[in-house]
Amino acid sequence: MILFSSPGCEKCKIVKESFDLKSIGVRVEELTEDNADGLAMLAWYELVKKAEEGLPLFHDEKQGLTLQGAENITKYLQKLSRNISQN
Amino acid sequence: MGEVLELRSLKLTDAKDTTDLAVFVRTSDEELASWNRQKIIDALVRETYLDQDTAEIIAEEVEKSILKSGITVLTAPLVRELVDAKLIEKGLEKARKMHTRLGMPLYDVEQLLVYPNKENANVPHGPEATNLTLAENIKKEYALLNVFSQDVSDAHMRGDIHLHDLGFIDRPYCSGQSLEYIKKFGLSLPNSLAIAKPAKHPEVLLAHMVKFAAALQSNFAGAIGWDAVNLFFAPYVEGMSDRELKQLAQMLIFEFSQQAVARGGQAIFSDINLYWEVPKHFEDVPAIGPGGEYTGKVYGEYAKTAQRFVKALFEVYLEGDGCGRPFFFPKPLVHITEKFWKEEGHEEFLRLISEVACEKGNTYFVFDRGNTAKISECCRLSFKLEKSDFEDAKQPWKMRYSALQNVTVNLPRIAYEAKGDDIKLKELITEKVELAVKAHIEKKAFIEKLLSQGEKGPLALLTMNKDGQPYLRMHRVSYLVGMVGLNELVQHHLGFQMHETNAAVQFGLKIISHMKLLTEKLSRKYNMHFVLEQTPAESTAYRFAKLDLKHYPEKTARVVKGNISKGEIYYTNSTYLNVSHPMNPIDRIKIEGLFHPLIEAGSLTHIWLGEKKPNTATMASFIKKIFDYTMNDQVAFSPEFSTCLDCKKTMRGLKEICDYCGSEKLEGMTRITGYFTRISSWNKGKLGELRDRFRSKEYF
Repeated sequence: MILFSSPGCEKCKIVKESFDLKSIGVRVEELTEDNADGLAMLAWYELVKKAEEGLPLFHDEKQGLTLQGAENITKYLQKLSRNISQN
Repeated sequence: MGEVLELRSLKLTDAKDTTDLAVFVRTSDEELASWNRQKIIDALVRETYLDQDTAEIIAEEVEKSILKSGITVLTAPLVRELVDAKLIEKGLEKARKMHTRLGMPLYDVEQLLVYPNKENANVPHGPEATNLTLAENIKKEYALLNVFSQDVSDAHMRGDIHLHDLGFIDRPYCSGQSLEYIKKFGLSLPNSLAIAKPAKHPEVLLAHMVKFAAALQSNFAGAIGWDAVNLFFAPYVEGMSDRELKQLAQMLIFEFSQQAVARGGQAIFSDINLYWEVPKHFEDVPAIGPGGEYTGKVYGEYAKTAQRFVKALFEVYLEGDGCGRPFFFPKPLVHITEKFWKEEGHEEFLRLISEVACEKGNTYFVFDRGNTAKISECCRLSFKLEKSDFEDAKQPWKMRYSALQNVTVNLPRIAYEAKGDDIKLKELITEKVELAVKAHIEKKAFIEKLLSQGEKGPLALLTMNKDGQPYLRMHRVSYLVGMVGLNELVQHHLGFQMHETNAAVQFGLKIISHMKLLTEKLSRKYNMHFVLEQTPAESTAYRFAKLDLKHYPEKTARVVKGNISKGEIYYTNSTYLNVSHPMNPIDRIKIEGLFHPLIEAGSLTHIWLGEKKPNTATMASFIKKIFDYTMNDQVAFSPEFSTCLDCKKTMRGLKEICDYCGSEKLEGMTRITGYFTRISSWNKGKLGELRDRFRSKEYF
């Protein structure tokens, strides 16, 4: 699972600060002006245009799921965290 | 320049005072003039930074050499060469460079006049074409010596980068515009002998469009594109019968496809952007009608008329020319937007444009997903509309876009030089992209110098100011950075081609992402709009391959495509997958489409059909699938045709014998890069690619 974010993005910050992303298996990819690998990953998942519309963007490859916007992502990650702690 | 000096008889007694020498000069004014050493001195002082004394010494020594040599026929170029040799001898390299004479050897001119030039398959062989090539050769030399710095020129000569259209150094690359400009302002061009007011009739508007396109082509190196042609014609064609509309559509297509009179006798490389629906940004724009007057309606109200006209255009494309061949120009680019699928009648129209794609291959499908809007032209170039462009759209005559130059990076060579080192690889890419940017800055300075002469200058047309801004808006132009051979870079660096593993595609995406971020960074630094484009590379893919085979023979031989023994070699174009690999077209479109969002100024996937004529319904549903399930920007389907030169019949496929009359005199044609043309005019690299192309026969 990957969270695409950018340094100046306030909404991305909210998501990042609300969860221990590493512990729930989410990798953060900061889309900076030097991160070609991050942009390439975005392109691989066909998310470049979506990212242009707005960040944060969350992608779960196993589920084939893409979520956009802090609210949707937060809800999904809350559910995910709950499931992990219950198991 | 232009002088011929004839040495009729020489007195070797005293070389100091040459006025006594019986040497005659035949000038370009067809006068006989006597030999005059002072002419060498004057030229050296005028053209270089040499002082009078040094110039005199050089002239005297050159004169002595001439006298001693016993030359019987002396020409101006020879005198100049002797002077240049003397400058080298004296270590005056800078002066020699400034004193260089541009021109071509006699042998080359003879070859050129007799045999065709295959650098651009759209240029026929004829007196106009040879004029063009002769002029281009001199301008190329001039550009490499005088416009670009030595490191940029050398990088081009070595084949690290390719500076496109050097022969058109004094023009921008290409232009996309709106018909509204001529609808509003009429046809009033600088240096024109007659001024036309805004057209009152559709046929006159068409005549203005064609003439303006021809005038623009004389001022640009590349394609001339028109936005939303069917929509902007609509206020002129309301109330016309289907028959009249079809006649007008036929006129439009034939006028553009038969105008083999532009630049070097070639047809105008023209593109018409077409819409089934009224694009959102034009819906509420007041429409301009006959006489340049507002009609009182907005373009949103012309949807039905625009649809009737676009259908008429495609009916003509479906019929083809007098021999049933596809029209080469103007290329019809149909924009498929989100709104397209909601517009009434889109199913029927999709069937029609799909039928044209299957039968003739003309239709370019341009996918504008989400809120994207663009104007496309050339082989795949597109200008994505930004906020300021949507503002312009309210007064569409302002909508004009240009790319100033195209510089392509030779990617496989970078891989050879990086020797498997990732860091070195990126470092070298950065170096070459920076060099491309430097080339753009230098060309910009040169064009600005020409533009600064305004209406009396060589680019008067581009400085005309009818709406408060010059026609060419320099602050809005794009500077293209292209790439050739990503597939071979990946193949050499990782050991796999991009169709072979996901890791190879992912690595390719990293390279293009790096180039994209770099161009963005450099755009901010120089306040210029550098953007990536998939270079059409009609001759560049061949040129790079040839140069690399010479300088890196072993490494190149392992990855280059084509047939080395026949010399028909090429690198895979831009970010394409290997053209010979047999694969499902939807997979090719999907994988190649992964790169497209990274390449702002235009990308395209080719599906080569060969003899196969797909089913129209299958094609239509295929287009829907591409729109919904891929990120691909543009797709073109290319059948192959043969026309019999004896019975004039056209048949599907590249044939050796005519199906109808058995003649062996056949002319093959298909798409070379973005446009259809005769195969006989292709360069060897493209012929190699043609032999390799995988034709998607069983997938339709």
